[in-house]
Amino acid sequence: MFEKVLIANRGEIALRVIRACKELGIRTLAVYSEADIDSLHVQLADESICIGAAPSLESYLKIDRIMSAAEIGDVDAIHPGYGFLAENPHFAEVCESCNIKFIGPSSRAMQAMGDKNAARSYARKAGVQVTPGSDGIVETEDEAMKIARKIGYPVMIKAAAGGGGRGMRSAHNEPSLKSAFHSARHEAQKTFGNDQIYLEKLIPNPRHIEFQIVADSHGRVIHLGERDCSIQRRNQKVIEECPSPLLTPGLRKKMGNAAVKLAKSVGYENVGTIEFLVDQDRRFYFMEMNTRIQVEHTITEEVYGCDLVKEQIRIAAGQPLSPHVARAVPRLHAIECRINAEDPANNFQATPGRIDFYYAPGGHGVRIDSHAYTGYTVPPYYDSLIAKIITVGATRINAIDRMRRALGEYYITGIKTTVPFHAAMMRNGDFRDGNYDTGLLDRLISAGKLELASPPIRLHE
Amino acid sequence: MDPKDLKEIKAIIDLMKKHDLSVFEIEKEGFRLKLEKGPSSQATAAAPPAAAAPKAVPATPAAPKAIESVPLKEIVSPMVGTFYRSASPDSPPFVDVGKTVAEDTVVCIIEAMKVMNEIKAETGGIIAEVVAENAKPVQFGQVLFRVR
Repeated sequence: MFEKVLIANRGEIALRVIRACKELGIRTLAVYSEADIDSLHVQLADESICIGAAPSLESYLKIDRIMSAAEIGDVDAIHPGYGFLAENPHFAEVCESCNIKFIGPSSRAMQAMGDKNAARSYARKAGVQVTPGSDGIVETEDEAMKIARKIGYPVMIKAAAGGGGRGMRSAHNEPSLKSAFHSARHEAQKTFGNDQIYLEKLIPNPRHIEFQIVADSHGRVIHLGERDCSIQRRNQKVIEECPSPLLTPGLRKKMGNAAVKLAKSVGYENVGTIEFLVDQDRRFYFMEMNTRIQVEHTITEEVYGCDLVKEQIRIAAGQPLSPHVARAVPRLHAIECRINAEDPANNFQATPGRIDFYYAPGGHGVRIDSHAYTGYTVPPYYDSLIAKIITVGATRINAIDRMRRALGEYYITGIKTTVPFHAAMMRNGDFRDGNYDTGLLDRLISAGKLELASPPIRLHE
Repeated sequence: MDPKDLKEIKAIIDLMKKHDLSVFEIEKEGFRLKLEKGPSSQATAAAPPAAAAPKAVPATPAAPKAIESVPLKEIVSPMVGTFYRSASPDSPPFVDVGKTVAEDTVVCIIEAMKVMNEIKAETGGIIAEVVAENAKPVQFGQVLFRVR
């Protein structure tokens, strides 16, 4: 087992990794930017090294400084968290060449699935159905038009180097295809430094259902069921649940097997997630694979009774899949709400700043993964996620109502947060019925149909 | 005061600091000078006699009372690595207290991943203090030198 791990991330996931390390008796080294000097994870780590100025490009993305810190700290392994360098094959490679274990898949497997277009061909090769689309990169607008005519409108133009809901443009007819094609390429070049794009049929009102893969270094690959992440605002997940109210046991088995098959075919190791789109006829299509731990790994942990981050570390240390993980079966229902420093009454505008008072809910079946605390200043340089609240219930409705109860106690002042928005969602009829797709939230928001809950009674501050 | 005297006094202060001395007194040719280290931030002013037996006054890491009060500029580390005062173990240090530096004067080396990086002063003045310790790790933003 490792003796010391460097956490190359920040915020709630850095805290999450530190907790797992502490439980495994592993010493922790946190690297942080100047904006994160007061961050909770820095204070809880055994050691910490400042690696740069606030902007991510000058700190959390600086591979040389992170490796320098790893060398000084004499660490055995690096956990990349999610985002930042977590899916950067070059970083994984650098770790490999420095003989420091990268807690995740090999750089080769990461590369294979990181190119979203290449991943589609791997899926096809593994016999997994992909969204109808181009056979590869689309070079010209004529080619795009031909393909679009063949698969039918509407179409999605996606960046091969993209992912996570970024670098996508839709086109509903031929006249709009031309401009969408060029603007997608331009944006891809700007955002990812790579203008390669491919085409996919735009599936109307899909459900986003992803499967959790766990694979050890001894060739064993399993899945731990699915998460339904269809509640999204502008392609960003805000609420996730496990299991999906949509899946039948038969569909779960089919999709799970497809996910395992694909992961095996690229020699995947450690944890990863295979994302599918499910259309209104319950047909599923491979969309992309995320070669890292995900934000919403928490609900799988609650339902399948395991610690996925500890399992990541065990796998990276060469241990075989833990028996309790290999045998895990789903029990109960879990929901996660992502609490962001955003103002839901003001178009979800980001609201960084000082948290004057912070009280998180508790009680049976309530889990909080957060680095926030009273007096903490949310910096403006990074994503706006300040907390994840997870509720577990015997049934889906129990979990939803428990979330409602818990959100009513969640008291954060000084900044605006999305707590009232989530409270409104827990009351929303379509959500409670399990009757939603990835378009629901944007529709509700633009129709002004979300009544934000009134603030809770004032607690003593 | 004669600038030459000021230079000598600064040198004495540095020697005091280097050798952990708390009081220095000199008298010669109608000139008398006494330098005394100020009270430390820790409550060791009244040290228990037993503990302080070998020393006249408890030594502290506090800087000696400075004669001048000009705020010092700081040279901070632009990277993460190991700080070295000289190019190699047998070479003399790039700079010492009292050395005049210009913006492009190399003041130290920070070694990162086996690469020796020459660090420039980026400011002009006289080295007042060597803050970082030789062959010890430094992080981004850590103070290496103070410059007057």
